[in-house]
Amino acid sequence: MLGGFLVIGGLGVVIGVGLALASKIFYVYVDPKIEAVEDALPGANCGGCGYPGCSANAVAIVGGKSSPASCVAGGPDVAAQIAEVLGVEITLKEPDISRPGCYYGVQDADVKYLYQGINDCRAAALLDGGAKICPIGCLGLGTCVRACPFDALSMGPDNLPVVDTERCTGCGTCERLCPKHIITLTSTSERMIGEYVTDECTAPCQRDCPTGINIPAFIQEIRNNNYESALAIIKEKCPLPLICGYICPAPCELACRRNLVDEAIAINPLKRFVSDYEMQTGKHLTPFKAPGSGQKIAIVGGGAEGLTLSYYLARLSYHPTIFEAKPQLGGILRYVIAEDRLPRKVLDHEIEGILETGVEARTNMRMGHDFDLQSLFEEGFDVIALTKGGFDSRQILKPDPSGYDASVPSVFTMLDFIYSLSKGKNIRESRRVVIIHSGLEGLELARKCRDMGAQKVTIVSSLKAHELPIELQDAKRLTAEGIIVRPSTIVTSLRGISRRLVRVAIEETDPIGELPEETMTIRADTLILAAGRLPEFVFVRSEEAEGLEPGEIAWETIESFRTFPGGNDGICTPPEPGRISDSSAVVKSLLSGRRLTRAIHRYLTDGTIPPIQHLVCEADAVLDVREVHDVSPSERERPDILDVTGDSKRAWIFPSEYPGLNEASAKKEAERCLRCGLICYRKQK
Amino acid sequence: MTDYILLVVSCIFVNNILLMQYLGNCPFLGVSKRMETAVGMGMAVVFVLVMAGAITWIVDSLLLKTFGLEYLRTLSFILVIASLVQFVEMFLRKSIPALYSGLGIFLPLITTNCAVMGVCLINIMEEYSFLQTLVTSFSYAVGFGLALVLFAGIRERIILARVPKPLQDTSIGLVTAGMLSLAFFAFKGMV
Repeated sequence: MLGGFLVIGGLGVVIGVGLALASKIFYVYVDPKIEAVEDALPGANCGGCGYPGCSANAVAIVGGKSSPASCVAGGPDVAAQIAEVLGVEITLKEPDISRPGCYYGVQDADVKYLYQGINDCRAAALLDGGAKICPIGCLGLGTCVRACPFDALSMGPDNLPVVDTERCTGCGTCERLCPKHIITLTSTSERMIGEYVTDECTAPCQRDCPTGINIPAFIQEIRNNNYESALAIIKEKCPLPLICGYICPAPCELACRRNLVDEAIAINPLKRFVSDYEMQTGKHLTPFKAPGSGQKIAIVGGGAEGLTLSYYLARLSYHPTIFEAKPQLGGILRYVIAEDRLPRKVLDHEIEGILETGVEARTNMRMGHDFDLQSLFEEGFDVIALTKGGFDSRQILKPDPSGYDASVPSVFTMLDFIYSLSKGKNIRESRRVVIIHSGLEGLELARKCRDMGAQKVTIVSSLKAHELPIELQDAKRLTAEGIIVRPSTIVTSLRGISRRLVRVAIEETDPIGELPEETMTIRADTLILAAGRLPEFVFVRSEEAEGLEPGEIAWETIESFRTFPGGNDGICTPPEPGRISDSSAVVKSLLSGRRLTRAIHRYLTDGTIPPIQHLVCEADAVLDVREVHDVSPSERERPDILDVTGDSKRAWIFPSEYPGLNEASAKKEAERCLRCGLICYRKQK
Repeated sequence: MTDYILLVVSCIFVNNILLMQYLGNCPFLGVSKRMETAVGMGMAVVFVLVMAGAITWIVDSLLLKTFGLEYLRTLSFILVIASLVQFVEMFLRKSIPALYSGLGIFLPLITTNCAVMGVCLINIMEEYSFLQTLVTSFSYAVGFGLALVLFAGIRERIILARVPKPLQDTSIGLVTAGMLSLAFFAFKGMV
């Protein structure tokens, strides 16, 4: 009996002491804030925040990965409580609303077989992915409708789910249940900075529009007489619809599926029609503005790209300020494009609309002359973006007294650099030079820099070693000369302090061994680009700084756009003159403006800029049709030229303002639209 | 060697802990609604059962048998298994955080899993050697995971079927479990 007491008692004591010791030895520090945040959360574990439960979200919130306002179920009260725990100000989150992304029910789409099984999409999806030929089409059995905990979904007349936006809380139940991932959560902000990916339903015109306007959707709104919502859809992607209506080369119309039957829809004239409608009302459509944090952002350059960037940043509730060297905003649109093609009152109207969203503009301000990076950071700007657009950098940069440009500290285009050398200007204190170039001119310049006193010259090339000119392959000899060649390498970021460059970050694109854990940085005080223009740099304050003197500010550039992880984009893509947006048409600068917005927004909210995966870049990458059936030809509507001057010839020769479509023709034209999806389109029955 | 192979087969199939011995039915019905959780639970059981089998064998042969206290077996095993799970949880959290977060909630749940206790007692009653104990514990755990995964697969499909209202969820689950168990009876003929 006593033995039993002793053994069990002894066992208990040994285990107790062992566990006590173990809890000391294996102690893991848990931030008390995590517990406090977890207490504040409702504990419903609904998963609306995107994490598996409230405790996982609490960890993410304290770790800075999730927003204090991320709890969908808790709402603003819980957000305020969490913000108090963390001691931060809350930035309210725009609600995500679920939105179905399929436009043709099973009865209207092409199907592989007739499904008569269990009335549930998940069951239907088990049979070869569902009855539809389209791999991403709605199966229309209403699983999402039955699952919605807030009764926000119903089945519409065409067998597609319809969302009651008033009731939708954005919990994401439907998104998780839908086996085809058709119904997704989205918000206006997400659409403004989003790009099309291959697994969503897009029309050919939409994919070929450089800025990505949802063309079928806005034409649908014209058909329904909702001109204002048509304009709102356009402005989610394109802030200058009237200007584009005048001068866009309209690649969308080349892609239009109606070309297979008769003639493309007049997409651009339709866009101009709704924009004309806005201009006639004399007011600007008040755009939706997401609640935001209001950081100050400086935009250097007031052309199409800078205007786009400022417009979307303002709609995301930042405070953008445009710095323009010329007396008026508009860049190439104002100072280059003929007034016959783009009336200036149209331009003024559009710029006025952008300024109304809360954009500040300072004209007659030249970078490197009236202000520079240091002075902008001192003024309190969190981010500085360079959007010089189509103008050559030399046009707006003021040469500094030493003879070469100084808008971005110690970064030069190769032409300028060689030109100043040829005029006998010496390299000022350039000890460590980095040249991005793959050719002999780069090597020649490197040798010149060596002769003039540079200690170390690095040539960075995105080409592989064996693709370089033979002179650049002899690493041993070049090293003896003090020139290092780095093949398969891209420069991803610049780091500097106040008015000087300190380091450049490089990444190997084709590593022979293992990938470096972190991006390598090499010391550099001069960077020379082979391109004729400077890339679109985005500068932010940097925390790490070596040799920082009082009053100085450390900065770095962020990489604005990457399509896939490990992509060899860098600040100069191959072939070298690269990471500069193509400004061959205004609509292309709009796209780069939106991409910069995405980068800045992601950087300021999440701290990282994730690469976009499965980006739609070519129409071939997605499912498409080659033939169109059951569509009868009809003639394309054209602007009624005689209506304007009474004389058709005059109207074309001197089009002081050439006419757009009138309402009747616009309606007729909108009726011609086939409202295409990936493979569906409107057929005549 | 043949003995061991026979032992493994009999523990996994013939004497399957869930379907033939009816131990551990609580997690069998509780975490079998989704495949992911079933796999997680299966892994956690493999991990804990092997450790518990080994430790309880040591406690039994070194402590209880030496002092002739076999009547305290159940009591001391509960104590040992419960604290073992606690200890393993602490250890994993510190040393292998990835495994800890992978097993998640299932690790503490095992404390109350009677399959673990059952296997430990069977090991002693059958008077297995230490090595045999390790092998049977592992095999029983694999059998547990197998049954759980099979059952989860079936239940994922059952959700889609039209089940009469009174039979939904646990009821139909139990009916299915019974049928699965009948299927496993076929293995009786093997040995």
